[in-house]
Amino acid sequence: MTTHGNRGKRVKITVLNGNPDADNVQFDDYLINLSALLESSNHMVTVLQLREMDIRYCIGCFGCWIKTPGECSNAADGTRDVRREYINSDFVLFASPIIMGFTSALLKKAHDRLIPLLLPYLEADQWEAHHVARYDKYPLIGLLLEKGKDTDEEDIEIISDIYMRDAINFKTSFCFTKLTTDPVEEVVNEINSI
Amino acid sequence: MKLIVFNGSPRGKGGNTKIFLEHFLNGFTTKEGNIHELAYLNRVKDQDGFLKLFQEAENVLLAFPLYCDAMPAMVKTFIESLEPLCGRKDNPDIGFVVQNGFPEAIHNRYVERYLKKLASRLGCRYVGTIIKGGGEGARMMPARYKKAFNIFYRLGQIYGETGQFDAELVRRLAKPEKFSKPVALLFKFLLKTRLFKFGWDRMLRENGAFERRLDKPYFA
Repeated sequence: MTTHGNRGKRVKITVLNGNPDADNVQFDDYLINLSALLESSNHMVTVLQLREMDIRYCIGCFGCWIKTPGECSNAADGTRDVRREYINSDFVLFASPIIMGFTSALLKKAHDRLIPLLLPYLEADQWEAHHVARYDKYPLIGLLLEKGKDTDEEDIEIISDIYMRDAINFKTSFCFTKLTTDPVEEVVNEINSI
Repeated sequence: MKLIVFNGSPRGKGGNTKIFLEHFLNGFTTKEGNIHELAYLNRVKDQDGFLKLFQEAENVLLAFPLYCDAMPAMVKTFIESLEPLCGRKDNPDIGFVVQNGFPEAIHNRYVERYLKKLASRLGCRYVGTIIKGGGEGARMMPARYKKAFNIFYRLGQIYGETGQFDAELVRRLAKPEKFSKPVALLFKFLLKTRLFKFGWDRMLRENGAFERRLDKPYFA
């Protein structure tokens, strides 16, 4: 047992680093520290540096639902790695600086391309319409945000609520929102307590 | 009145957002002197042009389909390009249109809060957000959307005269806000019938992909 409360459960974690700005070294450093600490808690961690990957926009063609089920039929780009890591993880951390009150367009690009992981069919879940699961199991999700100059509490609430909604669509639970002003240990504790 | 419309649909001219906008704009231009200009955000290479258009606009409408519970990534790229304009004195009035595939409006309420905050962040007068659930069929089955198209037309007409979204029409368009439990149960039942799956299954068959419809290509 480590000092971080890990009870020995080995978890596969994927971090989607949505920092678009290579000059924002602080943000990337936070993730380096976080993944080192998670690995020392015996977890498997993959950090995807989205800005260094070829990630195109979802164009809403529905090919992933009606032409090549489960796979994007428009672009064989880096999002194949995103989808593979995502669906085979126990936990996915969406990490991004807050830009204009939301996570980065870079992170949203990757996020929109997760839609092949669901089926086109609808179901009623929690008394609402949602898509049907394609896979048996989906990772839990959490948010790591870096405040911008104009970020306030309401922004963080709005972002968290949108991700909470997204969790319903992606057949999972939203676990936490943490800020890069929080000590790395707190994020690790959150993940360990899942 | 001159209105600059940003269509944030990744499908651009081939999408449902465009169809709803057409009806709004037909209503808008019934007032003499009202003109509009359309910009398609899926032409991502025109990004600089979009910023300039926004900068010079007095009235802006930003419309998009809901993608993963928020704005499509290309709309977020556009919003990020507006950052230098935050708090500028001459920012335009701004209204939004959000439509999505699920039948209920509730799915759009979260991004609506974001959009309201975005208007205040930019220092734009917030006209409001028009929400339309169940929008996926507008392109394929326009006959089923007569009522919604009429409301969009009226909304455009009133906006063209007053610069406001009519609250009652906005409320009517957003129906159903949520399913009642009996309706949710009925929906659940209907979804199990072939009728509801038929549209998808027909398209899958046409593409010779029906047998692979439940594939899990990333299953390790």
